[in-house]
Amino acid sequence: MKKDISKYYPLIPVFAAYLVLFLVGRNISGMWQLVAMLLFYSALGQAFNIFLGMTGYVDFGYVAFMGVGTYGMALAITKLAHIEGLGIWIIIIGFILALLMSTLLSMAVGAVALRLRGAYFAIATIGVNEGFRFFIEGARIWNGSEGIIFVAELNQILGRKTASSLMTYGADIIVLVIAVLAAVVTLCYMRSKIGYALTALREDEDAAKVMGINTTKYKIIAFITSACFAGLVGASSWALKTPYVFPPEVFEIHYTVEAIIIVLLGGAGTLLGPLAGGLIYGISKYYLSILLPGFQLLIFAPIIIIIIVLFPEGVVGMLKCKLRDSTLARFII
Amino acid sequence: MSLLKLENVTKCFGGLVAVNQVSLEIEAGQFVGIVGPNGSGKTTLFNVISGVYFPEEGSVIFDDLDITHYPPYKRARLGIARTFQIPRPFSSATVRENIAVGAMFGSLSGKVGVDASLKIADHIIDRVGLQDHRNKPSGTLTPVEKKLMEIARALAMKPKLLLMDEAMAGMHPNDIDQMVAFIKDIAVEEKIGIVAMVEHIMRAVVGMAEKVIVLHQGSKIVDAPTKEALEDPKVVEVYFGRAPEE
Repeated sequence: MKKDISKYYPLIPVFAAYLVLFLVGRNISGMWQLVAMLLFYSALGQAFNIFLGMTGYVDFGYVAFMGVGTYGMALAITKLAHIEGLGIWIIIIGFILALLMSTLLSMAVGAVALRLRGAYFAIATIGVNEGFRFFIEGARIWNGSEGIIFVAELNQILGRKTASSLMTYGADIIVLVIAVLAAVVTLCYMRSKIGYALTALREDEDAAKVMGINTTKYKIIAFITSACFAGLVGASSWALKTPYVFPPEVFEIHYTVEAIIIVLLGGAGTLLGPLAGGLIYGISKYYLSILLPGFQLLIFAPIIIIIIVLFPEGVVGMLKCKLRDSTLARFII
Repeated sequence: MSLLKLENVTKCFGGLVAVNQVSLEIEAGQFVGIVGPNGSGKTTLFNVISGVYFPEEGSVIFDDLDITHYPPYKRARLGIARTFQIPRPFSSATVRENIAVGAMFGSLSGKVGVDASLKIADHIIDRVGLQDHRNKPSGTLTPVEKKLMEIARALAMKPKLLLMDEAMAGMHPNDIDQMVAFIKDIAVEEKIGIVAMVEHIMRAVVGMAEKVIVLHQGSKIVDAPTKEALEDPKVVEVYFGRAPEE
């Protein structure tokens, strides 16, 4: 069977953007810190977009999946540190555990919350990350509120040199890989039955049901996929970059709100949107805090409001509209 | 053997009995008009058949299968398709994608992939005459075009039973005649049992239906061949009121 490659053209601008980011960070001194932040925000947006963008459901408990992902990595490293010769494999085990834990949590949350619609779903999920945080602290699971610090274990297993380069560069490169993977999965979903089902249910859930779409099934698919990527982002960007985990830091609703802003700024449900949103958000946040320390939020809020008012469908949503019928339209979705 | 059979179906909303003990049968490939004044329970009846509501009493039997408590998506796969009184397009998706969704998840669900569904969509777009709008977002269509697209989307599901809820309302009389002819053709080709629910547009009912079921305040009052039904004194009374007593 002949495969139609032109279907995958929209990945070209995504790959190009991440490549440019990577090269800028590597070759211009002092830029890596900014690039790492941009990669984090883009990956976060790209992962969240699979659920928020494609289904139209707002999950306020999203950061909880990043939180359990972080714990997954932390637990793998602390519990397996005594085993000799694991070396770099321990990181892979950590990612698998992170994936497993975020999947399990998303299944549990999804099975209950995805029966609700619209605003009710959003309200139900607000409690998820707070509840989970207090559960860990109160029941003293995984060291409770003292958290887990595993710098020593990481140094011991990988050696000081590898561990330190993992913390300064490696973790960010892994985030880059996760972001690219999330983009590929997004496009594959868009081009498959899943994408059509999700578009239909986002636009009109009742009509979608009558058309033969098992809406619950597709919502759960999107929810779990999105949660898995969140777990991976948490495991790399949080656990590997700063090898400790405290409940109040990883279950901070602030990150969910940032993820929502990124997706909406860039264009919910588009492939390129979360990347564009991540860049706009990250760059303005970074430079505003340098130029106007203390005032950044005061300036930042109106900027976001202006962008949302000017482009209600996000920057990429607007581009998509403008470019319809042109040759560029094949690359931007 | 009848394709669809309702047995004593009752659906209430609180104290209001919207559909009251209605039984009816529809044969495969039969054109049936369900008519009745506003509020007589036609749309509720459609919702019970398509699974949007479950009835309080009675059963819905489709193709010898009791589907009374089947969710809507399962019924759609068995071959029940419907259009809505007020069109409900998937606005951001193009006309082609909308119709492809019908092919993908309707009775062909699992048998056709994305590409095959898009091909089916193209074929149906040509049949219904929406060629000029193929790649437009469906939200930008005119109301009449949206209705046409909904019918196309339902036809793409290759249904055995097509429920059309006031599909012709707001159309020009010439368009109605064309539409009726088109739906008849395609239904015969595909052996679709059709329930056309048309309330005010008798032109479409008379042009299409072999039998007419008249609802009044939730109950079925007449179930007869079209000409007979429309001349029935009970029907005349429901629509025009009683002649003054001499």
